[in-house]
Parts: sequence; structure tokens; C-alpha cells
Amino acid sequence: MALGGSSAVHVQTSTVSAPTLPRQPSNVTVHPAALFSILDHYLRRSDEQPRVIGTLLGTRSPDGTVVHVRSSFAVLHSETDEQVAVDMEYHRTMYELHTRVTPKETIVGWYSTGSNLNTYSALIQNFYSQETAPQQAIHVALNTGAEEDTEAGVHAFVSSPVGVFPKPENCIFTPVPVRLKFDEAERSGLDLLSQTSTSPNSTSPQPVTTLANLDAALTSVSQMIDRVLVYVRRVLAGEIPGDKALGRYLMDTLAISAVGEKGSEDKAFNAALQDTLMISYLANLLRSQAEVSSRLALVA
Amino acid sequence: MAAPSMAAALAASLPAPAAAPAPAAPVYEAIPPSMAKVIDIEAEIALQVVQLDGMVVSKILKHAREATSGTVHGLLLGLDLDGTLEVSNSFALPHHVSDEDDKSAKSSAKYQASMLRSLREVQADDSVVGFYQATSLGAFFNQNLVEIQAIHQDKLRHGGVVIVHDVSLTARGNASFRAFRLTPSFLDAYKKSNFSTTSLISHRLTFSAILEEIPLQVRVNPLLGSFLSKLTQSSPSPLPDPAPDATRTAVIPPTFSALDLRTSGLTRNLEQIIETVDNYKNEEGNVAFLQRQIARERLKAENYIQKRKEENMARAAQDLAPLPEEDVARLFKIPPEPSRLESMLLLGQIDAYAKNLETAASSGLIKMYSVRN
Repeated sequence: MALGGSSAVHVQTSTVSAPTLPRQPSNVTVHPAALFSILDHYLRRSDEQPRVIGTLLGTRSPDGTVVHVRSSFAVLHSETDEQVAVDMEYHRTMYELHTRVTPKETIVGWYSTGSNLNTYSALIQNFYSQETAPQQAIHVALNTGAEEDTEAGVHAFVSSPVGVFPKPENCIFTPVPVRLKFDEAERSGLDLLSQTSTSPNSTSPQPVTTLANLDAALTSVSQMIDRVLVYVRRVLAGEIPGDKALGRYLMDTLAISAVGEKGSEDKAFNAALQDTLMISYLANLLRSQAEVSSRLALVA
Repeated sequence: MAAPSMAAALAASLPAPAAAPAPAAPVYEAIPPSMAKVIDIEAEIALQVVQLDGMVVSKILKHAREATSGTVHGLLLGLDLDGTLEVSNSFALPHHVSDEDDKSAKSSAKYQASMLRSLREVQADDSVVGFYQATSLGAFFNQNLVEIQAIHQDKLRHGGVVIVHDVSLTARGNASFRAFRLTPSFLDAYKKSNFSTTSLISHRLTFSAILEEIPLQVRVNPLLGSFLSKLTQSSPSPLPDPAPDATRTAVIPPTFSALDLRTSGLTRNLEQIIETVDNYKNEEGNVAFLQRQIARERLKAENYIQKRKEENMARAAQDLAPLPEEDVARLFKIPPEPSRLESMLLLGQIDAYAKNLETAASSGLIKMYSVRN
């Protein structure tokens, strides 16, 4: 298209003649929420289903090399010896529903539980590639570790066609590195869950007060210091040989904590202390005023 | 106004209360005696505790994190059994930018209905048990929450719950989830939509009596638990000669964000308090203005009656028929008493902000002293 071309010679900047294929995804990150819903879907499968599949939603980096999987939803499918069927209509409906809440997330691929790749995987991959075109679909295989001789883990794959005449049921799955990615602000939620999973009954009462939380963190730090102390004492006593790397690391840590002059620190400390006390006083004052005000409304 | 239409949308999408327990299967299986005590079709066993599934925790966290606006909403799905309300799934509700019209309310209802249908197809729980709201700095008291919850408490089994998630606390390293429901006395006043002073007195309503808290538990199912322990487990680094801090790696390394000394967020908290106090002052001004107006109109009406009485007495002395007295109500329009709901909610908000500030300050103090020593 020549848009407002004033020069006599018009050179077409071609986008068609040299088709720049989107680059293959080389990295996959997965958000915990997506992982957990896959696990939940696996729990809710019916007995005759050996594995479950679903759609992965997420975003891609501008150059297409990194795929961020942000969420996932379950899709109905059935596998028999003769055929595999995926409920496409269901998939479309769910995708439309999801885009209403999170318009930025698009289809990036699909997941399945269990790590066996077979002909059906290739067929489903082919279907999802059409959904994500021109980008490549990724496949995330989540091993729940619930079956014998398997270890829990997540693997991600991209596919490429194979053979002289590419057929949908044949393809090569190439593994790509996959990482768990979450926002730092969501961190405490994950901590909460992992703490809960180690507590008896796998339940934990809520809400935890900030002070209790602080207490737990301080206790764990003090336990770590104790462990280091025991180790250092044993090394000094000559019971076990010291690790040089560890020693350097400890020295670095101690050097950091000793930084700061005494006088200026005191001043800053006192100023910060006064600020904090002031805020605490203000907060208390506000609360009592609010309480009084609401009581007065009842008397008036 | 965003709230009413959204509330209407919610109301439209909820199943009728009679349909909530759905043993619609034609063949009834006998309930085993061990379970007979805990199954209540009529929802007679009172709720003791709300149990939140790990997946829901992560979903709410993600939704709250990605939200562009201040508060986000979503529906909670699950089941109740023997006093425990198990929340096993949730989905986010689309954010309403400007839904003054009926159309978006309808589409929201349609969205929920088709989402529920879709979830049922993959064997997920599809009965609504409440909703969640994510806010920052503890300000969850607002009209919106009260309105939606009032509808839920009418329509849902057990009245439904609202789970409040605090984004700012979570960022400070303490993921906070709390479950609430409206108190009966507030609901009574709300249904009569009467928040005059007398009604407040008779219901003994202050902001602390609007919501009652239900104990909340977080539960992690064994599969998720084993997966998480796999993720948090540290394993030797695959590199041949790693740096000291990379000798052992874990997918989720331990964190110490609770020990962060910075007091970020305090300024924001203070700003919000000032804003709310300003709002409250405005609201109080409005109420006072209305009350003065009422008093003025009353005085006028009384003067008029007094005058008419004197006139009548004078006429009686002259043996004339007295003038009618009943047209006072028509002559003077006494405005209705102002609703105190808004100011009550604002007070509740101020209280919540202040409480938040107080906790932040006190934990800050402790951290400062522990660093000092």
C-alpha cells in the first residue's frame, strides 16, 4: 500500500514476501494458580479417565520467546483406543468467559496430566496450534506424582512437524525449560499454603495476626542462627572439616550487618521511633473517636 | 451507581433457594447411618467454620494482584457439610466500568450462569456459597459489600458468606483472608431500609455490629500438599561449582518478607484515613443539614397548629363553627429522616484503616527494637 507516497520511486516495505516466522518459545513460566487448578481438575476426574487436559491462558513476551502461563481451565475430552475427542465448543465458551475478566490473556497452549506423549498428544497439539496461530502452541505436562514410579514435576514442550509430508498425528515434542513465576506480593499466599500442607489435618486457622507472623519469622531465623552456630562450633572443635565456601559466605553476611556508625544510627533510630509512636497514637485516637461517634449516634 | 445493578445481576443469576440442595436424581440411595446426622437438606445445621481450598487462595491472590481498580469481586463455589462450609472453587467476576444501564447487569448475570454451567460439565462444584472481595488496607466496609451480601443472605443456603482478602497485608508478608456475614439485627434494619436514629437505637447498631466474623480455615488437599512440598524442597544445584548462595536450590525458596523493616504503605494508609474522615465530615454535614431542615419544618407546622387553635378558641367564644385542623400534613412537607447507613459505614472504614495502621505501627516498633538490640 502506498500511503501518501510523494517520491517517484516507491519501494514497498514488504511484509509478505519475507514471512518472518514467529520465533519458537524458548522459556515457559507458570503461575501457581494455573498449576493448582490443573491439580484440582485431576482430582475431580472420573474413574475411567487416565488423564485430563485443558487450555492454558497467558501472555507472550513481545518477541515470542517467553510464554507466561497465567491461568488454566479444564476441557472435556475422551480418549479411547480408536479415537480422541475434545469438546471444542466448550473450550470456546470458556475462553470467551475468561476474556471478559482478563482480556489480556490469550490461549497459549494446553496441559495434560501424566507425562506420556503419544499420537493423541500430537493430534491435540495440532488442534491447539490452530487456536494459537500464528504463534506456536505449548504443551505443559504435569506429573502429579500420584501414580507409582513417577515423580511430581512439570515439563513444557513445543512441537515441530516431522516427516516429508507433515501429518497432524506425527510431531516432535521438544522440551523447553519451565519455571514457576509469581509476583512477590503473592508470595505470602504460597507460604501460607505450604505451611498449611505441613500442619496436621492440612488445615490452618485464619486470620493470622501480623505479630504472630512476625514471631514465626523471627523464630525460624533464630533457629537458623542456632544451626550455623552449632556448625561453626563443631568446625572449631575440629569434629568436622570446615567448608571454605560456607565460611566466606558467613563472613560476607557478618560484614554486611556490621555496617553503620553508632552516632548517626542512634539519631535515625530515635526519629523513626518517634514517627512510629506518633502514628500508633494517632491510630488509637482515631479508633476511639470513631467508637464514641457511633455511640453518640445512638443516644442522639 | 454501580452497586445496585450489579447486585441485581447477582440476584438474577442465583438459583432459587428451594433448588439449592439438588438431589434431583430419580433413584434415591439410602443415606448411610453414619452420614445421616451430617446431611441436612433443609440447611438446619448452623455454620461453624468456613474452609477455604488452596486453589481458591491462589485464584483470589492472582485476581487481586492483577486488578487495575481498587476492589475486585468473584463468586465462591462449594458445599456445606456438618457445619463446615467448604469453598472448593471460585471464579472472578468481570469488572464493571460503567454499568448504569440494565444491559450490563443482564450480561453479568448471563456470564455467571454460563460459567456455572460450564463448571458443572467438568465436575466442579457449581453451587454458589458466597462471594469474595479483595481490598487494600482493610477498607472492606462499603455499600457494595453490604448490598450483595444482603441479597445472598436472602437467597443462598446458609445465607452465604463473604470472604475478604487484604492485598496490602499480603504484600507485607501475611496473607490475610477473613470470612464475614451480616448480623441479623443489621439485616432486619436493612430489609426495612430504615436507618433513622430510632431504628439504630432499637437495633443497637454501631459499625462493629454490621458484620459478624466466621472462623476461617485454609485447607490444602493431599495432592496439592505433596506437590507443594516437592516445590519447596531444596535440592543440590545441578551446576558443578556453584556459588555459596546457589548450592541448594528450591523452586520456592524461603522468604522473610515479614522481617522487612521498611514502613512502606503507611503514608498511603494515612492519606486514605484523611480522605475517609473528610467524607465522613461531609456526610455528617449533610445529615445535620437535613435535621435542621426537619426541625424548621416541624416548628412551622406547630406554629400553624397553635395559631389555628387560638383562632378556633376565638371563634368558639363568638359561637362560630371551628375551622378544620387536619390539613397540616398537606401544607407542610416534613422531609423523611436521613439514613445513617452511609455515615455508619464510613465510621467502620475509619476504624478499619486505623486498626490497620495500629498493627503496622506496633509490628514496626517491635522490628525496630529487635534490630537495635
